Amino acid sequence: MKYFQYRKTWLLMLTVVTFLVLAACSSDDANSNADGGEEPDKITAWAWDPHFNIAALEIAKEAYSEDINLEIIENAQDDIVQKLNTGLSSGSMKGMPNIVLIEDQRAQSFLQSYPDAFYPIGEYFNTDDFANYKLAPTSLDGKQYGLPFDTGVTGLFFRTDYLQEAGYTMEDLTNITWQEYIEIGKDVKAKTGKDMISLDPNDLGLIRVMIQSAGSWYVEEDGETVNLVDNEPLRKAFENYKAMIEADFVKANSDWSQFIAAFNSGDVATVPSGNWIAPSIEAEESQAGKWAVAPIPRLNMDGAVNASNQGGSSFYVLDIPGKEKAAEFLADTFGSNSDFYQDLVLDVGALGTYSPAADGEAYQAENDYFSGQTVISDFSAWTEEIPSVNYGLHTYAIEDILAAEMQNYLKGKDLDKVLADAQAQAESQLK
Amino acid sequence: MRKFKRIATYTFLSIAALVSIFPFLWMLVSMTNKSVDVTKGRLLPGTHLFENFKVLFESVDMLTALVNSTIIAVITTFLTLLIGSLAGYGFEIYRSPGKDRIFNILLLSMMIPFAAIMIPLYRLFGGISSSMPFLGIDTLAAAILPTIITAFFIFFFRQNTKMFAKDLVEAGRIDGLSELGIFFRIYLPTMKTTYAAAAIIAFMNSWNNYLWPLVVLQSPENQTIPLLISNLGAGYSPDYGVIMAAIVIATLPTAIVFFIMQKHFVEGMMGSVKG
Amino acid sequence: MSKVLKRASLPTASKKSIGRRFKNNYIGWLFILIAAAGISLFYFYPMIRALLLSFQSGMGSNLEYVGLDNYIRLFSDPTFIAALSNTFIYLLVQVPVMIILALFFSVLLNDATLKFKGFFRTAIFLPCVTSLVAYAVIFKYLFGVDGLINQFLLDLSIISEPLNWLSDPVLAKITIIVAITWRWTGYNMIFYLSALQNVDRSMYEAAKIDGASSFQQFFYITVPMLKPIILFTSIISTIGTLQLFDEVMNITNGGPGNATLSISMYIYNLSFEYSPDFGYAATVSYVIVILIVLLSLIQFKVAGDDK
Repeated sequence: MKYFQYRKTWLLMLTVVTFLVLAACSSDDANSNADGGEEPDKITAWAWDPHFNIAALEIAKEAYSEDINLEIIENAQDDIVQKLNTGLSSGSMKGMPNIVLIEDQRAQSFLQSYPDAFYPIGEYFNTDDFANYKLAPTSLDGKQYGLPFDTGVTGLFFRTDYLQEAGYTMEDLTNITWQEYIEIGKDVKAKTGKDMISLDPNDLGLIRVMIQSAGSWYVEEDGETVNLVDNEPLRKAFENYKAMIEADFVKANSDWSQFIAAFNSGDVATVPSGNWIAPSIEAEESQAGKWAVAPIPRLNMDGAVNASNQGGSSFYVLDIPGKEKAAEFLADTFGSNSDFYQDLVLDVGALGTYSPAADGEAYQAENDYFSGQTVISDFSAWTEEIPSVNYGLHTYAIEDILAAEMQNYLKGKDLDKVLADAQAQAESQLK
Repeated sequence: MRKFKRIATYTFLSIAALVSIFPFLWMLVSMTNKSVDVTKGRLLPGTHLFENFKVLFESVDMLTALVNSTIIAVITTFLTLLIGSLAGYGFEIYRSPGKDRIFNILLLSMMIPFAAIMIPLYRLFGGISSSMPFLGIDTLAAAILPTIITAFFIFFFRQNTKMFAKDLVEAGRIDGLSELGIFFRIYLPTMKTTYAAAAIIAFMNSWNNYLWPLVVLQSPENQTIPLLISNLGAGYSPDYGVIMAAIVIATLPTAIVFFIMQKHFVEGMMGSVKG
Repeated sequence: MSKVLKRASLPTASKKSIGRRFKNNYIGWLFILIAAAGISLFYFYPMIRALLLSFQSGMGSNLEYVGLDNYIRLFSDPTFIAALSNTFIYLLVQVPVMIILALFFSVLLNDATLKFKGFFRTAIFLPCVTSLVAYAVIFKYLFGVDGLINQFLLDLSIISEPLNWLSDPVLAKITIIVAITWRWTGYNMIFYLSALQNVDRSMYEAAKIDGASSFQQFFYITVPMLKPIILFTSIISTIGTLQLFDEVMNITNGGPGNATLSISMYIYNLSFEYSPDFGYAATVSYVIVILIVLLSLIQFKVAGDDK
């Protein structure tokens, strides 16, 4: 009778099952322990780029007037979005950081989706010290939640040698419209054989740059009402985009690495982009002295300026134990320390939107790679001009709809119909 | 004719092998190049290998991630095989209408996209955290636990058990073995190739698992290899040479596990056991 | 062989006491206990939560019950319909091709006299362990406008001008199908290779003596013998394709427009990329569940496995 020779094994299995059941039963108090009032001895922060925002946090830690046990954790940006959404929506704040960096165009969606999760920090620093366009996306219902970090101020990076060959100087590229840009592009292509720009057909980042220069967005001021069909800047941006494709000077890319390769290998003459692209351009040492930055072109309409924004992010404090410590740390460094901003520019090339810092010495420095141009000071000046828009909640949802309609538009669909269809679809989808 | 068939087979397999390993070769080449050259699609080896490895090991904690991934993958593989084969065997050998019904219900769990149950699952572990912190959020145990019990492997073992000669069970009973004894002494050795295949798949799934470890593991000391690689590519100016070096390190263990395990796929091994 | 199986599947209790049968049945339950408990806890409990969620709507944690609204919304959601039809195209084209290819490889590589077996097997298996990041980057190179694929086709004069693989709706779908097949054929091959070891050699020898060709052996011995495993792989491949995410996310990001968007990628977008609507995302997930259940039932029926 050996059937139960393995009785011990069965017992073990039963124990495992009991254990699982116990685990299940203990799971329902997920919420109760969310804010145990205990003050943690460690402040954690999530950010994503070791050469940029993580480096900035490291410098801030050094610059902080008090002692802080700050643990900076690196996570890819998409990963942060997933982790935050999962953690916050589960209601269990376990494992969530004290400080988190969020891209401005996503901020409203987080603030409104999880109203109790974030800690207002408006009282810790003076919001007037920051560029105006950074405040709308980082606040909600009159409360300031985000501490602005980097500007995504755009510029038109261009190859001086190619442009010169085609007969253009810095002056010819300064304060131009996108239409003028397209004409120059045709000329450059004809004379040098080089493409003017590299674009990913699935990424409408350039459209966003164009419409923000005219103070417009996919949604109206309230951040919710879809604004596509009667959106004049958007219409113009679409026309420009199509004109570029048809002018045959666009080098298509389908990946970030191909985008970088396009200018690193000298295949394109210009890169209209946020200032954060500079390190990628500078990575190709053999092109030193061949690049310069002009203001971004504007839309051909009243009210449009030669300044816009692409990307850019801000720090947020979660409403969990340690929030005061975290807020004080941010306020003392990113929120008020002008000297710290000089270090930021010098050591990591990160350009903040803290206005008093612009008078500092580091901002006036000349950049050898860009033939001695005072790049930081230029970007800093353009930052002040960026029109403020409320990015609202649905930037990426609407953009996917627009990307599909853009394909139709390029194939010949009437623009009125394109925008009307996009509007209808967005309205039905974003109830 | 026979010779022609041989040549055709080798030609065909060589082409298939080349197509299959091309990206892998490209990775090997790329890890010796500078980032700028990688983005340009350079196909020749460069001289940047040591530099890339140096930057990799200086900038991220590769070793910790390797240790974590190995711990998770080995434990997961072992437990997955044990639990999956016990259940697959149980469903097929002790077949009854009731068990068949349970089996069909269990299969349902394979059919939902993981993203859909991730948040409730996280909530569950949030609750477990308070009573049993060693199993809760941000522990390797939490990364392992939901992945070891899967309908996939129960299904896999059950289907393979259908090909197992069931009179061996009867023979075992006549020999006086207990039911578990039959499982461990007869079934397990007989189904070695099935276990080898399952081990490869379980190891690979665990080694490459991304979504669940991503949300449940927070501290850097619990990081796994896929998370680390995701971070490497996250910056505005990623260093592709370094990324490729990391990816090669990440890929090798699974390839080695496969190479060792596939030796068990030897033709005719079963014949002798069945007699 | 089939005789052996039949014999084995006969009730084994003809000469045994009822008590013994009862005991075996009871022990059988013990075998599956841990698995059943674990799956209930880690899958069914969250699945029930997700089901409840599918009747709610709202942003992030501001959820409220809306009854069947989410399910009604599906029918008028063009993005969902595009994702659904794309996914079905992937399924219909890709799964059969891959299964046949994997079977073919496994039979070739099961030949004892073949040299470099280990190398060929490892090489064909490698794609599924190659990191997604690397393979996405290289696929985009290969299928770029001035990529290797176009150069190759141009050299052979198959095409007269470079094709826009990634920005043409039809070609982008083909690229995705090629990518999935490339990645998962070796994976399916393993299941067949391991199962082939359990096939009785003597059957092939008997067939050879009877003068059966390789093709006849394949269709009259290999395929019927591997039926449980073919059923298994076709079901998991169906599940895999209906939950397709990695390739689409990393190679085309759903584009151009929605031309390659898959259902799983749409779920991801609804949960994380857009303002999070977990309720609607759960609804879309349950559509996948229903589809897979239906397809699996059909596959079980076709395979005659439900006796």
